[in-house]
Amino acid sequence: MTSRLAFRILATLVAFAVLARIPAGFDVGFKFDSALAVIWAFGLLSLVLLTGYVGQISLCQATFAGVGAYTAGMMVASLHIDYMLAVGAGVAAAFMLGVLVGLPALRLRGITLAIVTLGIALVFDRYVFQDHAFEWFTGGTGGWRVNGATIFGLQVDSSKHLMGAYLVLLALFCLVALLLVNLHDSGAGRRLRAIRDSELAAATMGVNLTRYKLLAFGMSAAIAGLGGAFYPLVAGSVSPQPFWLFTSLQFTAIAVLMGVRYVPAAALGGVFMAVIPDVLTRFGHGTFMGHAYEISYDWFQLALGALLIAQLILLPDGVWGDIRRRVHHARASMSAVGGRRVKVA
Amino acid sequence: MAAFAAYTVIGLGLGGIFSLAALGIVLIYRTTGVLNFAHGAMGMFSTFVAWQVFYGWSHPFWPAWLATLLAVIAGLVFAAVMGLVLELAVFRWVRTREPVVKAVITIGALLALQSAASLIWKNNQYHLPIYLAPQTATIQIADVPVGANYIVIIVAALGLAFGLGAFLKYTSFGRSMRAVSDSPTAASLWGVPVNKVSAVSWMLGSLVAALAGILITPFINFDTTSLTLLIIDALAAALIGGLVSLPLTVLGGFVLGLLETYPTMWIQSLGFPRLIALLVILAVLIVRNPRGFAVAAK
Repeated sequence: MTSRLAFRILATLVAFAVLARIPAGFDVGFKFDSALAVIWAFGLLSLVLLTGYVGQISLCQATFAGVGAYTAGMMVASLHIDYMLAVGAGVAAAFMLGVLVGLPALRLRGITLAIVTLGIALVFDRYVFQDHAFEWFTGGTGGWRVNGATIFGLQVDSSKHLMGAYLVLLALFCLVALLLVNLHDSGAGRRLRAIRDSELAAATMGVNLTRYKLLAFGMSAAIAGLGGAFYPLVAGSVSPQPFWLFTSLQFTAIAVLMGVRYVPAAALGGVFMAVIPDVLTRFGHGTFMGHAYEISYDWFQLALGALLIAQLILLPDGVWGDIRRRVHHARASMSAVGGRRVKVA
Repeated sequence: MAAFAAYTVIGLGLGGIFSLAALGIVLIYRTTGVLNFAHGAMGMFSTFVAWQVFYGWSHPFWPAWLATLLAVIAGLVFAAVMGLVLELAVFRWVRTREPVVKAVITIGALLALQSAASLIWKNNQYHLPIYLAPQTATIQIADVPVGANYIVIIVAALGLAFGLGAFLKYTSFGRSMRAVSDSPTAASLWGVPVNKVSAVSWMLGSLVAALAGILITPFINFDTTSLTLLIIDALAAALIGGLVSLPLTVLGGFVLGLLETYPTMWIQSLGFPRLIALLVILAVLIVRNPRGFAVAAK
């Protein structure tokens, strides 16, 4: 075990220990937000793999999360199996859909891939998740209700045991994040990044494009689906609204805004996506100097769009990339004052 | 047979709207290399401006034609200004970036415009449509009654396609626009005002989007999302034209309109047409060489 890996494991454990404590002191609404933040963070993490590592654009990540959520909801509501089995089924369904979506991506890239994935997101949003023909999958207009679910015999459900669901989610997120950070420098990671830099060069160097692109799409969809599969547990039921087209677009916007190449940016983005809208709807109304005001959810999306445009013009590497660059710069200049030579990666 | 003819008329009307929306996308993509995902949202916002003038600010004693005219003019003027502002404030600064980055910027514009519209005009509420022709007026064509609003749309789509085509082909500014679309660098070396050309492209594209939005209001549930989501049908039509050809784009729009309308004879589903749009997109991308689009994106 190299010291670098040991440091990463330690950092992940510390992050888990800190994050696990935070929601405990708050009310049930914020506990729900924390669990939702991890679910959205999984969606953003899936884009770190697909866009950040492999360079493929996708506008349908919320669709993968939705397929994971509906599959898990269907399994638990109709078969009453252990929730982790349902999560496994959701991840498998999302993986298969991801490989299917990856098939056109073998020939397409850039804007044409964006158009196709946008079309897929819209088909699932307006047709699959809402039409009578798919009621066996979506549970009709009411969706699947999940009451009294268990994980390995432990009682977890949305109302009383939200913290249990949150801890399981957070542990899984830390694990997947650690795996992704390690993937970056591994042989498979180098092949994936070679595809990002130049498909032609990667193929010339012997990278199997078909295999690695399909695998990237499948794994990315599975990560998004893993988060989504916990949605019925946390929210108590599934509905099309959280996984509609605009969530997919927000995923892309927030992932790019926070820094699509960096794993910790996904966690940052998840908190941003879940907590800010709730804080706005809770505290964003009142009177200021005699004028009543109300800051609704729409302000969040408005700000997100404006921030994304500004960020792409001014800070192309995202918020986390910019912070990272500044920290490295500051460390390098501090060491230079001390007269020591340091290697800056 | 009568039912089939009626569905054909509806399909052609829908196709005219897709054509109009797609024309703006092709125009902007050709001259600036930006694939505008916010095209539907831009059209939606301008349409709401027209709606505001038509229902909110018009005086009850004005004749109907004056209110309609003022509403349409207000919507179109707003659209042109919005296109100009977007070009000056955003897209001028990212001209050398990759096409995908520019496309993601338009997604930011989509999110911002969509939520701004739902803040101003409320998302949940049903909005009354704007009729350019009287709602009940019909014309008999070979024993089939055709609503006047359908004819307005079809004529507008064909007229704009040929008008824009002629503008690009025969005017000197149109030649400048084509020169910029072939190579911005070479065009600027020849003294073509690249900044001016892309500003005009954005204004024109935005105008066409607004026109499509205003014309479509009688046929859809007019709210902030449905016009924004029109983008996928418009993109499908634009892809049929290879993101370059105006006549093929219009033809693609009409074909897509018919393809989406005929199945509704048997399948009662609001979402099913989206599946057809996706299948058309996939079919076009499989048949045409997708690398060809990348070349056009310089």
